[in-house]
Amino acid sequence: MHDRSGRIVVNNISKTFGSIPAVQNLSFTVEPGSVTGFLGPNGAGKTTTLRMILGLVNPTAGTATINGCRYHQLGNPGAVVGAVLEAQSFHARRTARDHLKVFASAIGVSDQRADEVLGLVGLTGAGDRNVGGFSLGMRQRLALATALLGDPQVLVLDEPGNGLDPEGIAWLRQFLRGFAAQGRTVLVSSHLLAEVEQTIDQVVIISRGQTMYYGMLDDLRNSQRSRVLVQAGDAQALVTALGEQQITEVSTLQDGRIAVEGATSKQVGDIAAQAGVALYGVEEERVDLEQLYFQLTSGQYAAPVQHQYSQAHGQVPPPGPPPGPPPGTPPGQPPGGPGYQQDPTAYQRPDQGRTPWGGQQ
Amino acid sequence: MGRLVKAEFRKITTTKLWWGLLIPTVLVAFGWALGAGYLGNAFVDLLDGPEARELETVLGVDSGEWIVSYFAIARSINLATLFPLVFGALAISAEFSTKTITTTFLTAPNRVSALLAKTIVYVAWGAIYGLAIILSVAIGILISTDSDRLPTGAGWFGLAVVGVLASILMTLFGVGAGALVRSVPGVITLLILYFLVVENGAQLVLGIHAPDVIGFLPNGSVNGLTGSMAAELFLTTAESVPPWLEDGVRAVAGATGALAWWLSGLVFLGWSALVFGGGWISTQTRDIT
Repeated sequence: MHDRSGRIVVNNISKTFGSIPAVQNLSFTVEPGSVTGFLGPNGAGKTTTLRMILGLVNPTAGTATINGCRYHQLGNPGAVVGAVLEAQSFHARRTARDHLKVFASAIGVSDQRADEVLGLVGLTGAGDRNVGGFSLGMRQRLALATALLGDPQVLVLDEPGNGLDPEGIAWLRQFLRGFAAQGRTVLVSSHLLAEVEQTIDQVVIISRGQTMYYGMLDDLRNSQRSRVLVQAGDAQALVTALGEQQITEVSTLQDGRIAVEGATSKQVGDIAAQAGVALYGVEEERVDLEQLYFQLTSGQYAAPVQHQYSQAHGQVPPPGPPPGPPPGTPPGQPPGGPGYQQDPTAYQRPDQGRTPWGGQQ
Repeated sequence: MGRLVKAEFRKITTTKLWWGLLIPTVLVAFGWALGAGYLGNAFVDLLDGPEARELETVLGVDSGEWIVSYFAIARSINLATLFPLVFGALAISAEFSTKTITTTFLTAPNRVSALLAKTIVYVAWGAIYGLAIILSVAIGILISTDSDRLPTGAGWFGLAVVGVLASILMTLFGVGAGALVRSVPGVITLLILYFLVVENGAQLVLGIHAPDVIGFLPNGSVNGLTGSMAAELFLTTAESVPPWLEDGVRAVAGATGALAWWLSGLVFLGWSALVFGGGWISTQTRDIT
């Protein structure tokens, strides 16, 4: 039987439809007590991965387990895992309450539970209406109600925000956070970072069926500090002056500008003025999460782009084995071998193997 | 398993399809039995005339012993069991169309138990449809046929058993076909076309050139299940039917080229098992995307 850990482990999973690789060697672990975002552009393989976790799609290689078991070894899976997969999973001529009663009996919970979950998602008044007349948002709520029937320990949601109005999204956000706060597991996919940014703690970002980033969202956020890009009359004198003020994280860009980390543009300007170095341009470079996400996933349809940061830093890919688990991953939990954070070699130039968050490892 | 069986029963009873299809089933079974019953009755009345009597004496037959209502019963059952066929065909194809198959598989311990529960429930519903058909046919026959020309108790019983059996097997055949085709309009068109048009057309040709093949075809065998039973019952009662008329009797019963009723049943059981098994295997391993 399953170990009741509430942990989802995806281990080197791959899926090929015909000759098309939908998911390639994906690995990540979803921990209980947190909300994990599963992000990637449309067509990145999110739905296929979730369906492999849920035993609906057979992996070509690798395994996905919940509580240490494959989905169909869970015994009564509806009482362990709840899934919201697509808004259309209903018979249009069946009422919402009847729909829930059908699956309540399949899971083995009382009919009263059907009414409870209807109330939980705010559909009590619509319980006796045919689902065919439901709006997309109501269908999403009913799908969530279905997922909650068995009072599951783990929730898996595929793009649950689709069709929800802003109020519904705010409600869902609060609901998922509350669910995770009870020590349960939430894995939620989305193609929009902004949609789930306030909900998730951990994030798995995939693109073209491969893992691009796996770790805490905060680590991703902090992985890039803002830099000040300065064009100075005498670069060497400015570097020396900065060094005297203990500002040493300085590098030279190809265009001759100096990139300064750990200082504000005001500090840099003051130091330059004191040192008598002329400044021809000061630019504060900010990195926001959306931009990072875009960079991580832009390879899917766009042509290969040069990574401005890796190149600017002049860093080479770190030698040796792949980096260890990200901070926040409990010890002893293998995130599925070396595949958990892959270099997107498929489209990235070899000299750019280093990804922007690499500095955190 | 009990939980899943309950869920599958609820799936059927919470939509209107079961009675939406049961109404035409009952009407067709009753109407056909009524019409065919009157026709048979009139035919025997005709044979009761003095001139026909003379001819019968020459031919060595005695229409007074003919219970033609057997044929009306068999024919009505054959036609009406197309409805449980369609009912079964919707079992899995509709779940694929509405994508409820996802939730069905998510809430079942595994696909084998989900499909097994469905099988149990559809066998039961096949029997319910079969009983409804038998009852409707019986009422139609009782209304249309003179009381001295009604089937014997054993005759009623035999036809009722094969009727319910045919209905169950047709339902399972439909379930399998629906699982293979996975499209509601697709599977209904395919089945209706095949059972009403394609095989009947083929039987016309085969009836002349190779009548023995017919008994091995799906429609030929399921019709043989009831038709051969009717022909057998008829011939048992009407001992004076000469051998040359027996083929005609079988044709009237809708069992041209059919094997004995129990062999026909086995052949159609084989067809149902083949289609049902194919549907099961394809659903068992399919990626639900």
